[in-house]
Amino acid sequence: MSAEVEEMLKRFQALKNVVGIIVIDNDGIPIKTTLDNTLSVHYAATMQTLREKARQVVLDLDGTNEFTALRMRTLYHEVMLCPKDDYFIVVIQKPCE
Amino acid sequence: MNRILEDVIHKNAATVERITSENTAGYVVADNTANAVAETSFDNTGAQAIVKHLHGVLVSSCQSVIRDLDPTNKLCFLRVATRKFEYLVAPEDYFTITVVQ
Repeated sequence: MSAEVEEMLKRFQALKNVVGIIVIDNDGIPIKTTLDNTLSVHYAATMQTLREKARQVVLDLDGTNEFTALRMRTLYHEVMLCPKDDYFIVVIQKPCE
Repeated sequence: MNRILEDVIHKNAATVERITSENTAGYVVADNTANAVAETSFDNTGAQAIVKHLHGVLVSSCQSVIRDLDPTNKLCFLRVATRKFEYLVAPEDYFTITVVQ
């Protein structure tokens, strides 16, 4: 399973617009990352709180709905957050104009 | 502030029609300063209040996260995908537009 995961990560990292990929577990620790450690830990901490907030907001809006993805477009990047069962993935890419 | 908003809304009426004719569930335009709903296509006033919740909590926390990671950066657009819908949130200086599709 982990060979597939590595291969997927490599494939995504090879895409021209992708700046970095971070896989974060439920404790907020980056378990796989393509960026340097301090930046990954910083991202992990902030994205962890954001993921919780987004989940709460969606649950409040509609109790039967579920939060599946969050995409933030900023001036310089596009950050995508995708929560899964025991981990969540953050991908940072340069937006194509 | 409301007059500016109304002007903007009237000028973009054609765009609004185009957007609502596609498969959207509705839209909400909210005034940032008053944190109040300016325009909406939703009929349910409870839904309007709930979307305020979205603007207030999620947009501001996303903005602070982005600034935390890079002080020169700022949030331009937000897309929350859920199982049923997708919320497209566009925060501007004076107002915030949310489209549900």
